[in-house]
Amino acid sequence: MQPFDPVNFRGQFQFFQHNPGWVYLDNAATMHKPDVVVNAITSFYQRNNSNVHRGAHTLSQNATRAFEQARDDIATFINAGARQQIIFCSGATAALNQIAFGLMHTVLQPGDRVLITALEHHANIVPWQLHCSRFGVTLDVVPLDTEHKVDQQAFAELLALKPKVVSFSHISNVLGHIQPVAHMISQAKATGALTVIDGAQGIVHDKIDVQALDADFYVWSGHKLYGPTGIGVLYGKTAALELLTPIFAGGEMISEVNFSHSLFNILPFRLEAGTPDIAGAIGLAAACNWLQKINSEQVKNYKAMLLKQFFAGLKKIGGLDILSSPVHNAGIVALNVQGEHPADVAELLNQQAVAVRGGQHCAMPFFSQLGLAGAVRFSFAPYNTEADVATSLQALTQAAEILTA
Amino acid sequence: MTLDQLLTDTKPALSQIYAEDLPELSQARDWQSKYRILMQLGRKLPPIPEKMKQPSLLVKGCESRAWLMHYYNQHQDQHFFVLDSEARIVKGLMAIMLSLVNGMSNAELKKFELAHAFDKLNLKPYLSQSRGSGLNAMMARIKDCCR
Ligand SMILES: Cc1ncc(COP(=O)(O)O)c(C=O)c1O
Repeated sequence: MQPFDPVNFRGQFQFFQHNPGWVYLDNAATMHKPDVVVNAITSFYQRNNSNVHRGAHTLSQNATRAFEQARDDIATFINAGARQQIIFCSGATAALNQIAFGLMHTVLQPGDRVLITALEHHANIVPWQLHCSRFGVTLDVVPLDTEHKVDQQAFAELLALKPKVVSFSHISNVLGHIQPVAHMISQAKATGALTVIDGAQGIVHDKIDVQALDADFYVWSGHKLYGPTGIGVLYGKTAALELLTPIFAGGEMISEVNFSHSLFNILPFRLEAGTPDIAGAIGLAAACNWLQKINSEQVKNYKAMLLKQFFAGLKKIGGLDILSSPVHNAGIVALNVQGEHPADVAELLNQQAVAVRGGQHCAMPFFSQLGLAGAVRFSFAPYNTEADVATSLQALTQAAEILTA
Repeated sequence: MTLDQLLTDTKPALSQIYAEDLPELSQARDWQSKYRILMQLGRKLPPIPEKMKQPSLLVKGCESRAWLMHYYNQHQDQHFFVLDSEARIVKGLMAIMLSLVNGMSNAELKKFELAHAFDKLNLKPYLSQSRGSGLNAMMARIKDCCR
């Protein structure tokens, strides 16, 4: 285990050398990629490229070995019980679509209920809406409390309606609040529900042990964990994965095809139709292996320190509505300059080379409940610096000044 | 408030923007002044009252919500518009755009190219892509009003 050294860490990201003037605080949207990830992808294409699972030739066997090694590495990274519990897909959105589609008919029958929360990303709302409405399944939504956290009392009450599936995010992409996932999972399980965790933001914040968490599914996107875009992971317990009807059909996912019917292959292949993102999987595994060597507690503490400095600086800027709470926060701050549209604030920050996101962050229902047009979101990563914090605070002060002048 | 009244109030605001603010904008030295001018510009357009903001007026494809109303004077072959946006910078840019096209004939409007016009005014560098897309959506909606 290597100690975490912020300067050395940042030095591994060439992006910053190519964009020296920028302060990048849009990490919740996507993260930058360290050299080890870029090199793993390049090296695969330059040296080992071949399709997997298909060729009789040695090159294909080598590519297959590298791809399956990536699955093993990722299984280790999240402490999955077995390698076939790692299903490669294009990202959290694809995984949630597979789960929502895949549980209809096998688990969810007309008249059944699914429970989500009011804090979800569209990726954990719309697939359920789409498939529930076609299947006569009712979708319930846990409201938020006054601190914009999932109302635990209401959660308990809605669980009493016996939803067959409960799906919620580990960490809110809008506010950065860390949900009491372990508690919510155990409550949901006590009623017999299947549990689905949207780990798109959770995976990068904490060391995830899926066996300890004990959810049936935990899904995430590689690009929010220093990995490439186009690859993600649908983790499921074996019994839970067996319940899923594949959303995609095609090559590799079947063991026998004739024109009257096909026999599905075993896991994980049953849920991985078509040529997978081989280089993406290898790149993501490189990210996981690299992260495992770095002291994750120190990384977390460093990010918490940046966040603390940022919150302290915000206090000195008047006229802000801060939506995020500093406690149980994974490094995301959503705020508004009072009376101003987030798009204007984000644009004025952009002019000052501070990259943030302004808008609704794919969480329209959340903002409509609050009657807000959206928010400006600052999201921090361990490669950010104290100087980044200072620059962004200055830029925000300047933006607020221009807007309220 | 009626559409007539909004149209009547919008016209002089646009003339003023064209005659006074655009030259001022091109003289502005630093980005702060540019953005201050842009935001003041937007304020000159009369806002569309909340009650009149029917969903059908909403222009899709903008990051912030924007609305467009239209009137075509058939006798004189002239298109007139009223617009509003909840974001001020975008509203300023839309106001400039409108100052260029308001009152155009059908043929003129069809021919109008926003990128070209902004280029001529040296405004293109200030159109980042995201803002550009809201503007482009508004422009497309304006062009849809052509006969
Ligand atoms: C909480 C959450 N869920 C799901 C997603 C969707 O991820 P992707 O677009 O990578 O599929 C995101 C990404 O913004 C997210 O933050």
